[in-house]
Amino acid sequence: MRIGMWISRSVAAGWVAFALSSHAHPEFQIFVQQNSSRNVDCAMCHAHPDGPDGLKPGQIGSLSHEEIAQLQDARAAFDPGHVVDNPLLNAFGNSLVEQLGKRKLLELRQHPEQLPDAIGYTSDIDGDGIPDAEEYLAGTHPVDPQHGDPWRLFVINMRRNAFHIVMLVLATAAGLFGLNNLLRWFELRQRIEDEAEDDVPPVGDSGRA
Amino acid sequence: MAIIPLRSGGWQGLREALADRMPIEKISFKTLIQKKEVPVHRAAWAYYLGGLVLFCFLIQLVTGVLLLFYYQPTVSDAHASVEYITKYVSGGALIRNLHTWAASAMIFFVLCHLLTTFAMKAFEKPREITWISGVLLLLITFSFGFTGYLLPWHQIAVNATKVGLQSIEEAGRYLPGQLSEMPGRVRELIQGEAAVGQATLSRFYAIHVVFLPLAVFGLIGLHLLTVQLHGMSQGVDKVTGKTERFFPFFVLKDFSLWGIVFLIAAVVALCLPFEAFFSYPLFAPYDALGSTPDGIKPEWYFFFIYYPLELLPFWVVMLGQMVVLGVLFAAPWIFKGTSRRTLTTIAAAAAAYLIIITLFGQHIYEFFKGDM
Repeated sequence: MRIGMWISRSVAAGWVAFALSSHAHPEFQIFVQQNSSRNVDCAMCHAHPDGPDGLKPGQIGSLSHEEIAQLQDARAAFDPGHVVDNPLLNAFGNSLVEQLGKRKLLELRQHPEQLPDAIGYTSDIDGDGIPDAEEYLAGTHPVDPQHGDPWRLFVINMRRNAFHIVMLVLATAAGLFGLNNLLRWFELRQRIEDEAEDDVPPVGDSGRA
Repeated sequence: MAIIPLRSGGWQGLREALADRMPIEKISFKTLIQKKEVPVHRAAWAYYLGGLVLFCFLIQLVTGVLLLFYYQPTVSDAHASVEYITKYVSGGALIRNLHTWAASAMIFFVLCHLLTTFAMKAFEKPREITWISGVLLLLITFSFGFTGYLLPWHQIAVNATKVGLQSIEEAGRYLPGQLSEMPGRVRELIQGEAAVGQATLSRFYAIHVVFLPLAVFGLIGLHLLTVQLHGMSQGVDKVTGKTERFFPFFVLKDFSLWGIVFLIAAVVALCLPFEAFFSYPLFAPYDALGSTPDGIKPEWYFFFIYYPLELLPFWVVMLGQMVVLGVLFAAPWIFKGTSRRTLTTIAAAAAAYLIIITLFGQHIYEFFKGDM
């Protein structure tokens, strides 16, 4: 019974998927891989790493009625400025539709290298300090603050955490200063002890003197 | 009757040999701490490397315990819990990064420690137990890396673990008779089920957080005890005659170095996420039915064996590995009469191999496979 239900739901979901015909645009992915030499997948813009087709969470076959309605709304956003919440896309994918509109986005499939200029270098969805457009070019994840060009992330985080780093340096310097002084104190004490040992006349010398 | 004295002589000999190597009658605060002297010479910096390994282990211990508060060792929740730690737990990203970076630092320092002690001939009688416990600690450190790699349950973790376990089973092809089944059984024992899954994760988790730390505690105890009992090895041929007291002078300098290393580790952990060096699809949750992303590789500290495995026949690499392991364990006897100069040359060659294969392994692989 359960298996039968599962099969019928899967078939139904498959039909829905076919009817809705999800739109993946691999041109962008191919360009990014060539440009950055980094391996990227559909998760750059989509909710699922394998793209919108399928039955897994984040793919078209798994959508509820409300989500299908959201999808239809997003698909109608041909012009820029519409706030969309396409369940097949992640925050970056949705922001592309909002900023450019579907029409422009479809045009850019022929020129994926122009996408960064089209969206500009101000938006930074994950807040890691690297604009989305640069993350797109570098093949790093635009919605993961832990992912970005390593050197740029390092420099940006150094600036952001300047206070913590200064405090760390001060704490370490204070610790080293204390240890160094302790070391000098021990050295001094040992020298005094050594000198005191040298000054003590050997046993029997006093009688001769 | 003639056999008995021989036996008792053998037993007596063993007792004497052990007494030489573990002079437990010397155990006192005075001999272990107050009276211990550390030689001072141009290679004396190498004496600090063991302490740095210990310090990295302590960082691992503290950060690992903190991660345990949130980590869920189940295939359904492991990745999500790691993501939760990184994104939502206060200071979670810092702790996780510190754990990851300190793991790499620990392996780096342990390799440096191994090579320098080898070059300084610090395995000489009566320090054989120190050396062998050190080699065991090296293997445990690598086991920490291997088992810990699986725990986040992302694509690279699971797929690299599969490759690692597969190579254990492959060794069976080169063994005769019933022995050929042994590696497969070892794999099953580690894996716990037909494929890498929940049982594997549970076993790796238990090994990573319970078995290996307990083994380390025991071995570090033995290692440090023998180091303190015998003192530091002279390390150089031309003895300067200068020494400094272990306590407080050497210990305080050691602490200063720990402070500097901690500062560097903390800044790197704060500013540089470890995952930024890899392609992001490798860190997506593992999907048994999904596509395997390109670029699955073990951690950098396994490159010394990974790239040879990719380029050479399996049996050659396995044989080489067994020989190296055997030589490492038997070094105190094999290199008994070898000069420090020769040992330094061998250690330098080993270091050069490790550096080249780690930094340029991919280029070498592409060159020989004709992909360049």
